[in-house]
Amino acid sequence: MTRRKFAGFTAAAIAGTYAGLKLQKPPKLPDGPAGKSPVAIIRARSYSDDLVSRMLAGIRECGLDVRGKRILLKPNLVEFDPATVINTDAAVIAAALETFERLGASEVKIGEGPGHRRDTLDLADDARYRAAVPKFETLFTDLNRDDVSSIGSFAGESDFYFPHTVLAADLIVSLAKMKTHHWAGATLSMKNFFGVVPGSVYGWPKNKLHYLGISESIVALNRQFRSKAFAIVDGVVGMEGNGPIQGTPKPTGVLVMGRDLVAVDSTCARIMGINPEKLTYLAMAADLGHVHAGRIEQRGETIASVRTNFALIDEYKDLRLA
Amino acid sequence: MGGLYLESRLDFLRRTQNADGGWGYFPGKGSWFEPTAYAMLALHGRPGSEADLDRAWKLLRSWQLADGSFRPSGQVREGTWVTALAVTLATVRGVDDPRVRHSVDWLLQVVGAEHDLAMRAASFFHLIKTKLDVSHEGWPWRNGNASWIEPTVHTLVALKKAGKQYRTAEVEYRVRDGEKLVWSRRCSDGGWNCGNPNVLNFDLPSYPETTGLALLGLDGWSEQQLQGTFDVARRFRSETQSSLAKAWLQIGLRCHGQQLEAPLESAPENPLTSKDIMLAAIQALGHPEGNYRLFLAAGEKA
Repeated sequence: MTRRKFAGFTAAAIAGTYAGLKLQKPPKLPDGPAGKSPVAIIRARSYSDDLVSRMLAGIRECGLDVRGKRILLKPNLVEFDPATVINTDAAVIAAALETFERLGASEVKIGEGPGHRRDTLDLADDARYRAAVPKFETLFTDLNRDDVSSIGSFAGESDFYFPHTVLAADLIVSLAKMKTHHWAGATLSMKNFFGVVPGSVYGWPKNKLHYLGISESIVALNRQFRSKAFAIVDGVVGMEGNGPIQGTPKPTGVLVMGRDLVAVDSTCARIMGINPEKLTYLAMAADLGHVHAGRIEQRGETIASVRTNFALIDEYKDLRLA
Repeated sequence: MGGLYLESRLDFLRRTQNADGGWGYFPGKGSWFEPTAYAMLALHGRPGSEADLDRAWKLLRSWQLADGSFRPSGQVREGTWVTALAVTLATVRGVDDPRVRHSVDWLLQVVGAEHDLAMRAASFFHLIKTKLDVSHEGWPWRNGNASWIEPTVHTLVALKKAGKQYRTAEVEYRVRDGEKLVWSRRCSDGGWNCGNPNVLNFDLPSYPETTGLALLGLDGWSEQQLQGTFDVARRFRSETQSSLAKAWLQIGLRCHGQQLEAPLESAPENPLTSKDIMLAAIQALGHPEGNYRLFLAAGEKA
């Protein structure tokens, strides 16, 4: 059994090995929705650059209007290791907060529910979120321990629960990190939605998602929230190799933004030197957005000008983009 | 009494109890089973708390389902791992009735899904690319999912406390097997993470808080058997910045009779964690004069 087939159904090893007994056929990509999706690639060589002006430029390219909207910034906060770059950088969160306030959002909050760690608040402290983001403690919600409501049927269950902070937002901004991932191939703006599933109901890790299948879960969550989602991917310094936790820093110098998260992730994959059509979750999400390069309007930088191949572990070598 | 550190946390708990008798994870939020259970344990036996704890217990019992399990909050329909906390609370309160026994029945029939026939067959044929011993049953967060360290530990605590008079042989078997699962999931660095020490031949690191919890699940094991684990836990306790991890490590080590210095009475307040009700309760439990012994099978051993 190859790792990709195995990983197509799993996230964590226990659930993964269980689900790995299933077989999966290579998906055939549909054309996706009508029209084209704009995706902005904005250069940002350092976290000390003026990230606000870059985000404003990228959002303008994507035609997003947030005036009067309640915004939830959803960073990728997983673990803290000072030796590497696991989480969305604090500077990106601080810049996004200022950006959306400047653009006239009625409210900007920050929320995350890490998959494995229960000490979300300390983790946020370790990642310097409180130090970098003004009044962070008043803006942040631990989505694992927020109050919840059922949205009814979802992911094979008659009742599925999401945090009130997530349900109340008019727009969820996936502030993802550009990383390789040892189960999904890459973790970008779409997988970042795992953090909206509350651990208080589904545990740590959120095993329900593993049993459903990692790709299936990514697609289901994005199908649920696609109408109110936007992505800003932190590729200033990404992670290559054995991501999403034990990989090594990969300076890439970009922010990637867009309203079509399938197109954003496909663009990020190409920047990383990964063929997005070979990422199972993107292939499965091809009816939600655009994977094909010809259906994505690249704004700002070109992919070729910023592409830098991310190191891939052996079992993902065949994902390499020609 | 317990000084400023302990009293400030107990006072915070008293001030944040909801009108329905429960506690939320944070002040002003809806009641959840988990913070309510830890708050009840922290306040157990404290003067003037009896009526408040009775109200809390009444609320929690209203969340029991027909199958014996407990819901994690009034908003969630399905029973989960918090059933283990319910059994622990019942024993602490001296309640031993058919409803408690029904919860024990539920815990005894719940098994980690990785233990099923298909997974054991896959393991036999070396189809599993993780170093995972699927021969043990353990307990999941939710029935039908895989077993993990934290729900397994809390169920071990509950069954060791409740299983002395009821279904003793079955409880004994599940406890011993659950302890074997805990040992089998130990990371190569000597501690525990949430449940998986190795993925695809990459060793995963342990976490401080889960290492503290694992010690709790190994109540009854000798100091000699656990010595290496104590060393890891002590190192974590001195290095970690996590308040939650420190609290669980203190509980785990103290429950094994390990001597630890008391926390600083006037440590600077972190505005991010100072409103965390569950954390305050666990910190209070782990104080030298806290109720950490309530997690022990013997109740007052350490």
